[in-house]
Amino acid sequence: MERAQHGDVDAYGELVRRYQGIATRTAYVITGTSADAEDAAQDAFAKAYFALDRFRSGAPFRPWLLRIVANEAINRRKAAGRRATVDLSVAEGRPSGDTALSPEAAALAGEQREMLLRALRQLRDEDRLVIAYRYFFDLSEAEMAEALRVARGTVKSRLSRALARLRTVAAGEVRLDG
Amino acid sequence: MASRMDDRTIELALTDLGGRLAYPSVDLWPAVRERIVAGRQPWWRSLIGGLRLPAPVMPIVATLVVILLVVLAVSPEARAKAAELLGLRGVQIIKVPEVPGGRVTLEEARAQAGFTVRVPAALGDPDEVTLEPVAGGARVTLVYRDRPDIPPSSQPGISALVVELGGRLDQNVMGKGIGPGTTLEQLTVNGGLGFWIAGQPHQVFYLDQRGQFQQETLRLAGNTLLWEQDGVTYRIEAQITKDAALRVAASFR
Repeated sequence: MERAQHGDVDAYGELVRRYQGIATRTAYVITGTSADAEDAAQDAFAKAYFALDRFRSGAPFRPWLLRIVANEAINRRKAAGRRATVDLSVAEGRPSGDTALSPEAAALAGEQREMLLRALRQLRDEDRLVIAYRYFFDLSEAEMAEALRVARGTVKSRLSRALARLRTVAAGEVRLDG
Repeated sequence: MASRMDDRTIELALTDLGGRLAYPSVDLWPAVRERIVAGRQPWWRSLIGGLRLPAPVMPIVATLVVILLVVLAVSPEARAKAAELLGLRGVQIIKVPEVPGGRVTLEEARAQAGFTVRVPAALGDPDEVTLEPVAGGARVTLVYRDRPDIPPSSQPGISALVVELGGRLDQNVMGKGIGPGTTLEQLTVNGGLGFWIAGQPHQVFYLDQRGQFQQETLRLAGNTLLWEQDGVTYRIEAQITKDAALRVAASFR
C-alpha cells in the first residue's frame, strides 16, 4: 500500500543518495555550519522533487540541483543576517597528506591553509561558491555555467574576480597578523 | 611570504583545502522522503488538515472522524446521540456529494471554466456536471450514471467520469504516483500527448495554467485515458478497454 501510494518516490531516493554528498558540501561552503548546511540541502532536495516538472529532460541534473541548493543556502545566510559568522573549518584528525613534508614545510602548509580559510570566511557567499565549484568540487566550466546560471564566458571572469578578492583579503590578513 | 603566493600556488592550496573541510555527512533521504510524502497530502491530512497533532496520532484521529461521519449519516437518532456524546450539538452535518464541486449546467460550466469544455458524443449528455475551483483554474467533471455498454464502477451509480482541467501533461512526471500492477502507455490522442493507464492508478500529475505542478487523484478505480488538447487536459475514467476509450475520446466535441 505504502509503495503503491508513493509509487516511485524511492527512485528519487536513489538520486538523493547519489547527490547528497556534493549538495551538502556545497551548502556547507556557503553556510559554514553543518546544521544549516544539512537543513539547506534537505530543503533543496524536497523543493527539487516538487519542481521536477520544470526540469528539462535530458539536461544534466547535478548543476540544476546545485542551483537550488546554493539558493537555499544563500537564503539561509540572508535570514541569519550577513554578519553571521561562517565557521567553515578543517576536519580534525583527518589523515594528513603532509607526512611526506619536512616538519617545517608541513607547518608552513598548515599556516597557509589557515590563512586561506580565514580569507574564505570573509568572502562574499557568491565568491566562495564559485571557488568551491572550481577547486573543491572540480566542476567543469559547462557545469559551473549551468549551476551559476551564467554564460560560459562569464564563469572565467567570476572565478578570477573571486580569486582576486580572496588574494586581497588574504594579503590583508597577513598584514594584520603582522 | 604567504601574501606573495602566485596563482598556481593558490589554486593548489585551494584544491588541497577543499579536500580537508569539515563537511557534514548525513543521509538526508529519510528526512527528505518524509517531507515529500507529507507534501503529497495523504487523505487523512486533507480531512483534518487544520489540526496540529503529533504525526502518529493523525491517521487515528482521521479514522475516528470517518467513523463519526458514517455513524452520523446512518440515522437522525444516531446523529443526535453521537452529536451529544461528542459535544457537537448544533453542528450541522451535510451529506458529502459523491462528486466534489458545485452542480452546474453544461452551459454554466462552459461559461465559467476558462477553457474549452468538450463533451464526448459517444456517451451522450452527461447526467451531472460539476465545476469546482482548483489551484490555477477550474475542474469540470461530467458524470455518466448508467451506460449499458460500460460496467458500473466502484463508485455506486457511476459508470464513467470525464474530468477536464486547464493545463498540460508532462511525460516526465506522469509516471509518478503510478503504483505497481499498473501500466502506463504513452499515446497520441486527438493529435495531443496522451496516456493510457490500466490497472489501479492512484494519482496523476499535470501542469496547471500557471505552469505549476498539480496532482490529481483518480476517482474511479478503473482504467484511465488522459490527453492534452489545446492546453486542456481531458480524462476519461471508466472500466472500458483502451480501444473503447479511444473511440470515446475521438467523439469529444
